[in-house]
Amino acid sequence: MSRSSYLKPDTVALHSGYVPESDHGSRAVPVYQTTSYVFESVSDGSSLFNVEQGGHIYSRITNPTVAVLEQRIAALEGGSGTICTASGMSALFTVFITLCSAGDHMISATQIYGSTATLLKHTIKRLGIECTFIPINDEQALRDAIQPNTKMVFCESIGNPGLEIANIPGISEIAHEAGIPLVVDATFATPSLCRPIDHGADVVVHSVTKWMGGHGVAIGGAIVDGGRFDWEQSGRFPELTEPYAPFHGIKFWEEFGPSALAMKMRAESMRDVGAAMSPHNAFLILQGIETLSLRMKQHVANAKALLDWLQQQKAVTWTNYPDMESNPSHALAETLFPDGAGSMLCFGVVGGRAGGAAFIDSLQLASNLANVGDSRTLVLHPGSTTHSRLTVDDMKAAGISEDMIRVSVGIEDISDIKADFARGFKAAERAAGES
Amino acid sequence: MYIEVRGQKTYAATGGKEFDSSLPTVMFVHGSGLDHRSWALQTRWFAYNGYSVLAPDLPGHSLSAGEPLESIEEMGAWLADFIRAAGVSRIHAVGHSQGFLDVLELARQAPELLKSITGIGTAGAIPVNPALIEAAKNSAGNAAEMLLLWGFGPDAQYGISAVPGMQPIAIGRQIMARNPLYEDLVACANYEKGSVVAKSIEVPSQLILARKDRLTPVKAGMAFAEELNARVTIIERYGHMLPIEAPRQTLQKLRELISSLEEAA
Repeated sequence: MSRSSYLKPDTVALHSGYVPESDHGSRAVPVYQTTSYVFESVSDGSSLFNVEQGGHIYSRITNPTVAVLEQRIAALEGGSGTICTASGMSALFTVFITLCSAGDHMISATQIYGSTATLLKHTIKRLGIECTFIPINDEQALRDAIQPNTKMVFCESIGNPGLEIANIPGISEIAHEAGIPLVVDATFATPSLCRPIDHGADVVVHSVTKWMGGHGVAIGGAIVDGGRFDWEQSGRFPELTEPYAPFHGIKFWEEFGPSALAMKMRAESMRDVGAAMSPHNAFLILQGIETLSLRMKQHVANAKALLDWLQQQKAVTWTNYPDMESNPSHALAETLFPDGAGSMLCFGVVGGRAGGAAFIDSLQLASNLANVGDSRTLVLHPGSTTHSRLTVDDMKAAGISEDMIRVSVGIEDISDIKADFARGFKAAERAAGES
Repeated sequence: MYIEVRGQKTYAATGGKEFDSSLPTVMFVHGSGLDHRSWALQTRWFAYNGYSVLAPDLPGHSLSAGEPLESIEEMGAWLADFIRAAGVSRIHAVGHSQGFLDVLELARQAPELLKSITGIGTAGAIPVNPALIEAAKNSAGNAAEMLLLWGFGPDAQYGISAVPGMQPIAIGRQIMARNPLYEDLVACANYEKGSVVAKSIEVPSQLILARKDRLTPVKAGMAFAEELNARVTIIERYGHMLPIEAPRQTLQKLRELISSLEEAA
C-alpha cells in the first residue's frame, strides 16, 4: 500500500495539510486570497526563487490554501505530492505535456471522457504528440502499441461514460515492463473507493470539480505523483533526469527523487502555462473533501438501489453499472472497488433518441447538465452533448449508444429519485408509442 | 556528481552547482535508509552562497553503487576516503541521526579532515528496537513505515510540508523502502564508541535537537552534547526528521556555526 499519512482516510479528509495557524488559531483552513508574498529580504526572495527553501512566491505557482488541498489529496491517494490546477482538463494537459514532447507517443484507452479524447486526438497531436487508442484491458493491443518513443499509458479507472473498469494492475505491469508510467484519471471513483497507486498506477489525475467537491460550485483539477516510478531506470525521460536549463540546470530526479515529477510540473507547467487553481476554489473543494467518504457511501448505496429498481422498469431496455453481475467488469470491480464502483450508471430507454429526450425533459428533481459528481442527481444524453464531437464509429468504440442515458446518482432520498425517474419513463413510453 | 570511491561509482549531491574543491566545503551525511535528498533544503543554500557542497549517498544507497557498509566504523572510514577522492582537504561535516555517528567515526579515524561537526536529531549512541531490526530484515518497506511513524513529528503526521503540495512521509517511504535499511539499523545498534570519541574531538561542534524526537530523544542528545562540549539548539514542535520537517530552522543553525567559523578563519 502506498502511504502518505498514518491517519485513517476519514481523518485525513478533515485534517491533513493544515494545523491551526499560529497568528489567529483559525480552525478552518483560511483562504489566502493573495497573488503574492512579501519576501523577508532580498536574500530570502532569492533563495525562494532558487529552491533553496520551500515557500510561496506567487499564487500562479503555489498558494497556502491550494497547498493544503494538494497535501490533503496526496495523503488521500498515497502519493508523494499533488499539483492542483484550474480544472480537470488542465490537469490532464499538464501531465501530457510534462511527460511528452513533440515527436513522442502515448497510448490511451478508447473508453475515455469525450473532451479528453478530443485533447488527445486533436490538440496534443497539433503539438507533435501522437496517441494510439486501444480498447481498455486489451493486453495484446497494449503490448503492440508500445513504441521506442512511448512516454505514457493513459486510462480512466472507470471509463466515462461507458463505465468500463480499467485493469490497473494488468495495465501497469505491461507498461512498467517497458519502462513506461501509467497515468490514471480516477475522477469517477475518488480515493474513497479506489486508490490507483496501490494497484500500480504512477500518476493519478482528478477533476476535483466532481465528487471530491461534491457541491458543484467550483472547477478544479489535481495531479498526484505516485512517487514510485524510477524515471532514471526507465531511460525514456531526459526531461526529468538531464539538466533543466531554465532552472540552473537542475536535475529533477537526482534532486527530488520520488517527487521529481510533481516538482517538474510545478517548476515548468505552473510557471509557464499557469493553469492555477484559485485559492477560493481550493477552499470550496476542501469543504467537500471533508465529507467525501460519507457522501461516497450514500452515492454508492443510492446507485445500487436505483440500478435494482431500473432493472424492473419495462421502459428500460438495458442497464449498465460496473459491478453489476452481468457486467464483464464485475470481478475486476469487486477487486478494485470493494466498497462500490462509484455512482455512475447508464441505461437505455424505450423510444430510442426521442424516448431519451422525452425522459430527460420530463424530469423535475434530476438536472440535465454537463457535469457529474454533484450531490444532486444529474442526467445527460452523451450522444448529443459531451460526446457529440465524436464520429458514430468513435462513439461506438467509446461504448456509447444513441439511446444511452448517463446518470450521476446523487445522495437525495432514493424514493424521490425513483419517483422522478418514474415520471420520465411515462414520458418516454408516450414518445415511444407516438413514434 | 558522480565520483569513484574505492572503485565504486558514488553519487554526491552538490546543491545544484558544480563542485569546486577550492571553496569551503560542507559535507552532509544522511541517516539510516535515507539519501542525499534529506538535505535538499540545506544544500542549495550553501552551494549558492560561497560554499561547495557534498551530500553523498552511502554505498548501496539510492544513486550510489556498491554493497552497504556493515558498521559505523566502516562508514567513517569510507567517508574519509570519499573526502579524499573529492579532493577536499578539510570539511564541515553535518550528520543526521546515524549520519552523525558516521561523522563521529570520521572524526576518530581522520580528525585532520574536519573543520567542524554538527549532529542533527542524534545522540552519541542510537539504540534500535530489536523489533524494528527484525522488521527491516524481512521488509525494508515495513520497517520504513515504523521509522516514519516514529520519526516525523506531529505536524508532518498531519500532512504539513515545508515544500508546498508535497508529502514528506510518502517521499521518505519511497526512499527508505529501496535502501539497505536493515544493514544501517544493525550498524547503528552496534555502535558504542560515541562517548569515547567525544572526548577526543577538538573541532567546534554543535547538536541540533528536536523537542518531539521519539527516535533520539532530546534527553539523550543533551547528555551527549555535554560529553562533546557542543553548542546545542532544541527546535520546538518538530520530530526526528528535522532537516525535512524544519528546514529553515535547521539551515539557520548550520549557517550560524559554519559561517562564523569561516569568517573567523
